[in-house]
Amino acid sequence: MFHYRVSGLTVASELALPGLITSGASDQAPDIHIRRGAVPEALDGVTHSGPSWQLAGNRFLLRIPDVLRMLLIDGREILFEPDSGAAEGDGAIFLSGSGIGILMQQRGRVVLHASAVKVNDCAVLFCGPSGAGKSTLAVALGKLGYPSVADDFCCLTMDGAVPWLEPDGRQHKLWGQAIDALEVADRKRDPIRSSLQKYFVTALDAVEAPMPVGMIYELHAATPAQPSGIQRPRSIDGAHLVLRNAYRRALIHHFGQRQLYFDTAATLMASGRIQKFTRAMNFGDVPASLSALETHWRANGLLVGAA
Amino acid sequence: MRSLWLASYPKSGSTWFRILLANLGQDRPVDINRLPGDGGIASARTFFDDLMLFPSGLLTHEECERLRPLVHEVVGRGRGYVDPALTPPPRIRDTQFIKTHDAWLQTPDGVPLMGGRRAADGAILIVRDPRDVAASLAHHMGADLDTAIDFLAGETSALCGRRDFQPQQLRQRLTSWSGFNASWLDQQDLPVLVIRYEDIQRDPVEALIAALNFAGLPATPAEAEQAAGFATFETLRDQEQKQGFREAAPRGAPRAFFRRGVSGGWRDELTADQVARIEQSQLAGMLRHGYP
Repeated sequence: MFHYRVSGLTVASELALPGLITSGASDQAPDIHIRRGAVPEALDGVTHSGPSWQLAGNRFLLRIPDVLRMLLIDGREILFEPDSGAAEGDGAIFLSGSGIGILMQQRGRVVLHASAVKVNDCAVLFCGPSGAGKSTLAVALGKLGYPSVADDFCCLTMDGAVPWLEPDGRQHKLWGQAIDALEVADRKRDPIRSSLQKYFVTALDAVEAPMPVGMIYELHAATPAQPSGIQRPRSIDGAHLVLRNAYRRALIHHFGQRQLYFDTAATLMASGRIQKFTRAMNFGDVPASLSALETHWRANGLLVGAA
Repeated sequence: MRSLWLASYPKSGSTWFRILLANLGQDRPVDINRLPGDGGIASARTFFDDLMLFPSGLLTHEECERLRPLVHEVVGRGRGYVDPALTPPPRIRDTQFIKTHDAWLQTPDGVPLMGGRRAADGAILIVRDPRDVAASLAHHMGADLDTAIDFLAGETSALCGRRDFQPQQLRQRLTSWSGFNASWLDQQDLPVLVIRYEDIQRDPVEALIAALNFAGLPATPAEAEQAAGFATFETLRDQEQKQGFREAAPRGAPRAFFRRGVSGGWRDELTADQVARIEQSQLAGMLRHGYP
């Protein structure tokens, strides 16, 4: 059995899940149990479904063809069955990502598709769809001394008016081209799947204690029509920003969680913690992006002192 | 919901045609940066990722392509989650027009990658003289003409096919210019209307009316004339010069999207040898589409 800590919860898994924060075994039952077993092809009593998934009450079936099927039960358990012919361990990245991420949504947590770093005592999040540059920014900020907090999803917990984040990030996930451009080949580990040129990259420094959220940026690529800059969205836009950056946003409606995300967004907007960050997507422009961020952090009291 | 593919080899004028459609029923030219379907190309990752609930970026190109028919079947019938931040594809009544640069190919399971009849009701194929495509493609890719000509003739050419990073969109296999157009014309699943770029240019009103008739959405000449008047090349280029165009090449030095908008520009852009290479390799398609 492998033991991990994810978003403040204990996880016991029969399959090694590289990228998660490892922890020792405990006498207490884990919060989340991941085990191998027979997973049905389809569920009874389906209320919502997509090409690769079914939702029936507290059970959620996700099928990654030729890799594995997984059944998520009541936010506490993931049952998985590798497809015949799938390489051993090929499904791990789907369990540790989509599996646990959706399980967290099933638990009623606010889960954002984001990477995060620690700036002073706060977490700063970078949201966006796959390919938006979340990991690239986190790695580049890591080189400037900002420890990694999360790489793929961020589970928020509301404590009064302040959202808190439980760290998840000892490993980044980067494509070969980014590893070369960011000069981090010395920290490159195994590929996340044997068939992909995307690799785990160990964070220079990572933190494990929860911290309040200082700022959330939604990442955008600059275009000739949309120049670089950091902008605070209008309030209605901010509410939708949080909703559309939910980890698996299509599920929010089916899980009956729209109000949960709107309430979280309202709290974040009230304290000016949501911003849109537009920047050039070339690696050559990364230093300019980092400089824009540090300037913004100073202006907003997250970072003290001169550049 | 009915769906029609707006299929074209890249740089063949499908964006222009999309702008023509978008201007139907408007009382002023639509803003080129607020076009319907700005993110709505068939190969957009967002459709796949939002419907499958696991990221396409964790799959190989080949794995994605086996699953794409499932995605197109949902999107083509207007079902499933659609990112509200994206403007939906151009839609007239209950018919949507979805842009694609994918050749019509079969998956290893023997089903059409584009989802066949379950995903769409027909296709409008926009074809442009490959000699002009080569010049436009070189400009768009930021590459030299010889590279663009090799790309246009290559049977394995694809957009977004790199494997050392995550391309913005899913891989789109094009095959060659001739192969691309033949793949759409020779498939047996959907009816196809071919419109040549040169014919849109010669008479945009006639081209628009033909497309709408094919789609079963007849428009009056006055409606088509108004749309065409709002989408002249000069109007589009002026808009891009004033405010930029979000669909222009995103990486590298800024390059205008609406460049020349002429037919036959290849005569002063390509060398005799370059012209000969295209004419030799793309002969079958050029004859078929009437390019002397």
